[in-house]
Amino acid sequence: MSKNYKLKRLSTRRYQMLAAILILLAAGLVLLPDYQKHEGIEPQLFINKAMSNERFISTDIVADKIINKDPSFVLVDVRSEAEFAKFSLPNAINIPLDKFLSEEADNVINQEIVDVVLFSNDNFMANEAWLLGNRLGYTNLYLMKGGLNEWFNTIISPKMPEETMPREAFELYNQRKAAGLYFGVGSIEVPAVKTIVKTEPVKTPVKAPVKVVPEEKKKKSAPEGGC
Amino acid sequence: MGPLIPNGIIPEQWDYVIALLIGLAFGYILEASGFSSSRKLVGVFYGYDFAVLKVFFTAVLVSVIGLYYMDYLSWLDITQLYVHPTFMQSAIIGGIIMGVGFLAGGFCPGTSLTAVAIGKLDAMIFTLGLLIGIFIFSELYSVLTPMLSQGDYGNITLDKSIGIPADIIILSIAILALAAFYFSDLVRAKVKKVFY
Repeated sequence: MSKNYKLKRLSTRRYQMLAAILILLAAGLVLLPDYQKHEGIEPQLFINKAMSNERFISTDIVADKIINKDPSFVLVDVRSEAEFAKFSLPNAINIPLDKFLSEEADNVINQEIVDVVLFSNDNFMANEAWLLGNRLGYTNLYLMKGGLNEWFNTIISPKMPEETMPREAFELYNQRKAAGLYFGVGSIEVPAVKTIVKTEPVKTPVKAPVKVVPEEKKKKSAPEGGC
Repeated sequence: MGPLIPNGIIPEQWDYVIALLIGLAFGYILEASGFSSSRKLVGVFYGYDFAVLKVFFTAVLVSVIGLYYMDYLSWLDITQLYVHPTFMQSAIIGGIIMGVGFLAGGFCPGTSLTAVAIGKLDAMIFTLGLLIGIFIFSELYSVLTPMLSQGDYGNITLDKSIGIPADIIILSIAILALAAFYFSDLVRAKVKKVFY
């Protein structure tokens, strides 16, 4: 009799029991320790991207893009403000590395419209910025290979190729010299090159300093994928 | 890992098959718990049967607690789930219309169809009215859109808009459910028994 009564009481209160169980479960959710959620890119993909050479853009391509006024990319200088004030690349935006994840920087870096080319004095700081950005899953970040040092060595004062080197080396040298002219270094007379290239029919002797357009290169296709 | 379909674990082509299976199960459970009877459904308004309140409270809690545990175990990324955008005005107006229709007609849209399936005449009339309503609304949709799209809050969730962590909200809803169940039992004991 009493057992039956108990059972009956239990069954009339079954929803309250159910709610009690749900409260326990919900309390479990509250009591679970907080943990850092894995945000952004998958680790394997991240490593693959970091290993790939595709993240580098050579100084020649950057120079070419600047000269052709390519609107599809933005240059970001990750050095400090003081260094940026002294010299930088034309039209570069300064986002110092310690402000790389700030909100103002987010507009520039976390978007999918234009490519972002990061550079610093060498690869080191820009690479750090690249890793940070990619870790958060930002898609179109690139590095200017070698940074400003490489820029200086290739575009501003390119090394004269030796006579025994292939023609491509001389073409590249010419192109770099011409790009250098655009950026306001060097002079129009580059006789040393002219004489060497003479063996071939002269292609584009550098005459007009204003309208120097280096040979157009293949544009990088827009990056795909990501998650 | 989850949600399964957006992450490509189940191909999108299975959408309709899964929808059909879930729909069958949903209809079966509605009918099995007696929700194809308008008398049972409106009992919650008259205070003689609180099955609707209990079932829906339980369903909400079971799913939200389950989802958050799955999120904790990384079986599911809760941020990837679709959150329907909130339109404040239309939600209020629509809620009132829905409530009046529910009380007057004795069904909500889902249960009316299960009642049609077991051959209830009132449900058939109700469903006819439902279809006429859908038709009129669809025809007037472009006219009504400017009014309905006011108060767009976007895809907001409770925890982000009021700044209280989700687990605290879930716990308080669970406590609220216990209180609701308790008081509904009290009310039910007071109200005259209705046999249906």
